[in-house]
Amino acid sequence: MSAYDVIVIGGGVIGTSCAYHLVKKGYKVALIERGDIASGTSSHCDAAAMITDKMPGPDAALGYASIQKFIRLSKELDYDFNFDQAGSLYVCETDQEVEVATGYVNDLRAEGYRVKMVDPYEMSQIEPLLAKDLKGGFWSDECAGLNPFKLCYAFVEQVKGKGLDVFLHTKVTGIRLNEKNQVEGVDTDRGRFTTGRVINCGGVYAPEIGRLNGLNIPILPRKGVILLSEATIPVCHQKVQEFGYMVTKFANVECDRDPELLKYNVAFTLEPTEGDNVMLGSSRNFVGYSLNTEIEVINAIAKRGMRFFPILKNMSCVRAYAGVRPFMEDHLPIMSEVDEMPGYYICAGHEGDGISMSPVSGELMTQLIAGEETELDMEPFRFSRLENRFL
Amino acid sequence: MAEYIDDDVLVCRCEEITAGEIREAIRMGATDVTGVKRRTRAGMGLCQGRTCEALVQQILRQELKGEATPESIGFSTPRTPQRPVTFGTLGGDNL
Ligand SMILES: Cc1cc2nc3c(=O)[nH]c(=O)nc-3n(C[C@H](O)[C@H](O)[C@H](O)COP(=O)(O)OP(=O)(O)OC[C@H]3O[C@@H](n4cnc5c(N)ncnc54)[C@H](O)[C@@H]3O)c2cc1C
Repeated sequence: MSAYDVIVIGGGVIGTSCAYHLVKKGYKVALIERGDIASGTSSHCDAAAMITDKMPGPDAALGYASIQKFIRLSKELDYDFNFDQAGSLYVCETDQEVEVATGYVNDLRAEGYRVKMVDPYEMSQIEPLLAKDLKGGFWSDECAGLNPFKLCYAFVEQVKGKGLDVFLHTKVTGIRLNEKNQVEGVDTDRGRFTTGRVINCGGVYAPEIGRLNGLNIPILPRKGVILLSEATIPVCHQKVQEFGYMVTKFANVECDRDPELLKYNVAFTLEPTEGDNVMLGSSRNFVGYSLNTEIEVINAIAKRGMRFFPILKNMSCVRAYAGVRPFMEDHLPIMSEVDEMPGYYICAGHEGDGISMSPVSGELMTQLIAGEETELDMEPFRFSRLENRFL
Repeated sequence: MAEYIDDDVLVCRCEEITAGEIREAIRMGATDVTGVKRRTRAGMGLCQGRTCEALVQQILRQELKGEATPESIGFSTPRTPQRPVTFGTLGGDNL
């Protein structure tokens, strides 16, 4: 079978972004996906690109840079991925939350980001259907939303046939190494490919692909359930989230939360879609790869949603679905070559940020492969930072 | 085999998707009901594909000819709730 400069395994948002950026650099690329484009986590998720869920410092800088890249991509890619810089609103239920939020917002403002505290009256102007008894919140007009699977199609359609060959319904069954442990090809259930470089973009399945070569890639599936409403009146105009869930992340303080919410790690988020539905989420728990939507979790999410948007009570839910986030213990993705296997790269483990981090991830992997200076220091993302890397 | 559905015929009434748009999705690479759905929104509306699914399957069959089997074309994934239910009910309000 034909030879390629780089073979990308996995047609999710990370793999399609890598493929797109590599082709733009002039490489001849094959994208191999065992199902359809975006059939994994990248179509079972929300898709916000935000600053206000990031820690001040490098984390926020990365969030900001990602949004700027989406603004550029929304002009560069012909296929519309419904990018909308609509802003995002965080809401606080208690005075303690408002206090922590104020410190956090001040830190972000000091770094130059457009974000500000809003009082209950301003909140009711921004989102008129919010519950009236909330204590305050903060708002940023820099945050954005988009359609995650359309983003995957947009990356692919732009370069398909112009340097990118796409092999759908084709499963990678082996990665061949030569006697020096260098990559020399890829085996699939539909034939063999020749290449000197492969990127494992398997998301939660990256460990399964890694095992083919004795690699121990410690990514775990962390499930989230989302409830989709009927298409109806605009319930919200941008992503709205509760801050309570983030308090521990931003201030290392304990806050009292309903044990039922803690059990499934349920936190309220609401996102509008381009079809006038809203997506109500979400949960975070470790229950393997199953995409079942447990009724207890649905129940907790629905309750939490009505707490913040009482109007939901009489609206219909048409669909519940679940996705699994590719979770890393240290909350950093692996974006790296495997030192011991020249030509074997991994780009996976973006947990709940894979959509927003896809442009920068694709660019960084391209810079890494081209041997150019990378836009970010890649040290924190190295595979070799991990212990027990081999089975 | 069933007759040809013209490009301008509305197949998914909830989301107002025509047969032509479904054929375009198939040209882009969709090979099953879910692939058509993600590319066009056909089946994402209030009825969740209950009305249009058979028509989408028929168009896939006609366009993909020998490459498609009933198994490969598939169905849209069944999801909870089986018909629209209010969030109030799901949240235990009227239980
Ligand atoms: C409920 C929920 C909400 C989320 N909200 C957000 C959000 O608001 N913002 C955000 O940025 N992120 C969000 N995320 C996270 C985001 O969805 C993920 O980080 C991202 O989709 C991961 O993309 P990926 O390409 O790494 O994985 P995937 O999309 O899973 O792609 C991996 C692909 O590899 C393929 N594959 C596996 N094995 C093989 C093989 N052997 N051969 C060939 N192909 C193979 C699979 O079929 C799959 O298509 C959310 C996730 C969830 C679950």
